[in-house]
Amino acid sequence: MRTRDTHKEEIVKQKAIEMLVKLGIEGFGMNRLAKESGVSVATLYIYYTDKEDLIKKIGIQIGQDFFNEMVKDFSPTMPFKDGLRKQWENRARFTIKYPLNVACWELLSHSSYRDCILEKSLLDFKTIMGDFLKNAIDKKELVCMPKEVFWSIAYGPLYTLLRFHNEGKSMAGTPFTLTKEVTDEAFELVIKALTP
Amino acid sequence: MENQIDNILVFATNIKTENDKQKIIEILDANSEIHQWTIDQEDIDCVLRIVSDTLSEEQIIELLNDQNFKCSILE
Repeated sequence: MRTRDTHKEEIVKQKAIEMLVKLGIEGFGMNRLAKESGVSVATLYIYYTDKEDLIKKIGIQIGQDFFNEMVKDFSPTMPFKDGLRKQWENRARFTIKYPLNVACWELLSHSSYRDCILEKSLLDFKTIMGDFLKNAIDKKELVCMPKEVFWSIAYGPLYTLLRFHNEGKSMAGTPFTLTKEVTDEAFELVIKALTP
Repeated sequence: MENQIDNILVFATNIKTENDKQKIIEILDANSEIHQWTIDQEDIDCVLRIVSDTLSEEQIIELLNDQNFKCSILE
């Protein structure tokens, strides 16, 4: 009886993420993935029906990992400032720990796979974040604004700093590391912009 | 994943075109011993993947050979 080798499966997933980031969706293929992961093509086809199936499953998995990390120690009933700080911490930790997964997620969420992946992995997360914002507005801890405006002000600065951090340099090309002081300074300014 | 891997059989075939695929759809869909099947025509080996509790690799190969398609166990 053949047994499912979960260790091998993990290697395949990680390799697929690496290859997707490096080669893009078009350049990515099952044969090459099998070769680079050290498994036979047949094994790959036992796990996945085709390239599309594999990409969807990888995307959904990354989305679920992201979701699990985002809700750690977070509740939609938290005071707004504490909750947003927790979101910053969780997002920064995930982005720094898994830069390849984040890059792959970015790639897939700008592709035709977007809807399928988002729908399957982030539905609960959207509800939780929606509740968090609604509670904050009800408690008058947050100015009422369209969610797109909220998102870009609340997280835009963080993701820009994280990009500088991952690249090791800022827009001017000077070396950059994201410290707690820098994060706190940016966070306080964001809070100033969002609270009544 | 949803299926027991013991029930999954994978083959290299020459089912290359949409026309080829149409020819096998009826045969495979009609077979009650096949729970699920897919073919990856983007792949060079046109990999046919069959989920079945009962059919053997040889039986699938014979089924496809009868339709004048090449079919071999994918290594």
